[in-house]
Amino acid sequence: MVYAGGNLEVALSSLFLNPITLAGGVQQIFVRFILFYTMGLGVGLALKAGLWNIGAQGQLLIGMVMVFVVYTFLAFLPWPVLYIAMILGAALGGLLWIAVPTILRVKFGANEIVVTILLNVVAINFAFFMLSGPIKSSGTALGFPHSIELPAQFKIPNIVGGTPITWAVPATIVLGIILYLVVERTPFRVKADTVGESHETAKYAGISIPRVMAITMLAAGALAGLAGATYLMGYRYELDIGSFSTNYGLVAIICALVGRKHMLGIGLASFFFAYMTIGAESMALSANVTTYVVFAMEGIMMLGILLGNYLTERRFLV
Amino acid sequence: MSFPLSDVIVGILSTTLQLSPFYLFAGMGEIVSEQAGVANMGLEGIMLLSLMTTFIVDYATGNPWVALLAAICVAGVFGCFFAFTAIRLRMDQIASGLAIYLVGLGLSFVIFNTVYPSGLTPNYIPLPSLLTNWNTVPYVGTIFLKQDVMVYVSLVLVLVTAFFLTRTSLGLRVRAVGENPKAADNMGVNVNKVRFLAVIFGALMFGVSGFYFAGNFVPGFQTDVIAGRGFIVLAMIYFANWKPYRALFAALSFNLVYALQNEYVSLSGFGVASVTTLFNMLPYVFLLALIPVFGRKARVPKFLLKPYRKG
Repeated sequence: MVYAGGNLEVALSSLFLNPITLAGGVQQIFVRFILFYTMGLGVGLALKAGLWNIGAQGQLLIGMVMVFVVYTFLAFLPWPVLYIAMILGAALGGLLWIAVPTILRVKFGANEIVVTILLNVVAINFAFFMLSGPIKSSGTALGFPHSIELPAQFKIPNIVGGTPITWAVPATIVLGIILYLVVERTPFRVKADTVGESHETAKYAGISIPRVMAITMLAAGALAGLAGATYLMGYRYELDIGSFSTNYGLVAIICALVGRKHMLGIGLASFFFAYMTIGAESMALSANVTTYVVFAMEGIMMLGILLGNYLTERRFLV
Repeated sequence: MSFPLSDVIVGILSTTLQLSPFYLFAGMGEIVSEQAGVANMGLEGIMLLSLMTTFIVDYATGNPWVALLAAICVAGVFGCFFAFTAIRLRMDQIASGLAIYLVGLGLSFVIFNTVYPSGLTPNYIPLPSLLTNWNTVPYVGTIFLKQDVMVYVSLVLVLVTAFFLTRTSLGLRVRAVGENPKAADNMGVNVNKVRFLAVIFGALMFGVSGFYFAGNFVPGFQTDVIAGRGFIVLAMIYFANWKPYRALFAALSFNLVYALQNEYVSLSGFGVASVTTLFNMLPYVFLLALIPVFGRKARVPKFLLKPYRKG
């Protein structure tokens, strides 16, 4: 057994210390933090209205594809305009992608879980199609299709020269605070919560259920798409099949649940999971275990948090 | 090189039938589970674990039947675990299901990688065809006799599940605890026990699906090798309105569309991934297109996703 040779001290120090001591660790934490937080905000928003967005991963992929679609097809725009267009394009892509389940839910009453799951698979194929055709890098030496690397002026710069933190980090935190003010501190919170609790009550209270559902779902898609832009422009710079492999959408759901659907709570949960993910990856590497063990750890952490919830409050997350 | 049309049609029908058991076993399992009011979103994680078990046990023993048994046992253990969290601890079913999925996704590869660190594995020994000399019967042989016995078991299972849910007293109790647990409880039904049994049955069926995936879908194990096809079962039974016969129809038509595009892509020889992936989307888009047609009339079991507390 692989674990038998490892010792606990090494394992624990990899889990808790390596993320901040190893080269690139801090950068990695913040990259994941931005990803989880931006997507988690959307998932949490939809959850407030009782809607499950299992398709954040699909919207993220479409957002990433849209960055390159805008970059390729609107290349005639001047630099700052194109820069903003790429970010907005990603959000728009995510929004359009979730528009399908939104319309099916609001107009036809079709279950959004089922539709978002289906669209995840479609998104992977669609992204693969775009990547091997319209936005493919012409200089492909390897067999795997990949896009070009974004030129330097389209990369999100670091805050100060030496730090590994980009401007996307404060921007994401500001976005979270804005959403907190808009969502949690206005009557909208009551509306969304009421719709999430009971459609009958919402109807009785005169709340427009379709409107609340549409707003929260579309915002969720736009946020997941936006996460695609910050991930690509702030960290990865190019798109390849490797970007499709990890299901960050599920981690975003965990963060939204652990953060109790609270716009700031999701931020704390995202940071925790970003830190733990990097720690778990580094622990897996030092123990010579495949990093896929991280998925299992995330699942166990989620069960643990659900269990803790049960034991302490006898109340349930959703 | 040209192919006679009859061969193409036979190939398409054969593939359609060959792929169906994966969706049928899991579909029947999830129907029973959801009719009882518990949605198991961890199904793909359980499938991955039993698929991994299937490969490892099959390599070790050379006997696919032993592998099937092992796969079912593993699925049962994780099914019990899910049932405990969702029913006894009354955790949110979607959250705990997704957690089980993540555990299955990670653990299946970690275990496989520990047993076969180099990735080099022996050949997978599949179940035998129904008839060894299926070749001698034209057309019918390729479509019906080349398949292994699980194809027919899965078709029988659809009949049995339909009969069970509508004609047996336990089946009626299963539906009662999903529709109105309070009333069922008043009539003396042990709600959580029935739910437990339904969830375990579902998980065992996911185990069979995971087993069937080996050989029929993929030659060997990789991470995330089921790639969302387990989750598709949730969509199928949604369109099927939790009715076994309609789930059979959904599975067959989904596979038919898959087989058609697959055959078309391979015959036309695009070779380029770009066009192939567009066609690969078709079965899923087909399912999506069914939503406005069938999803409208969907009648969700009333107490689906809602834990039951006595008193």
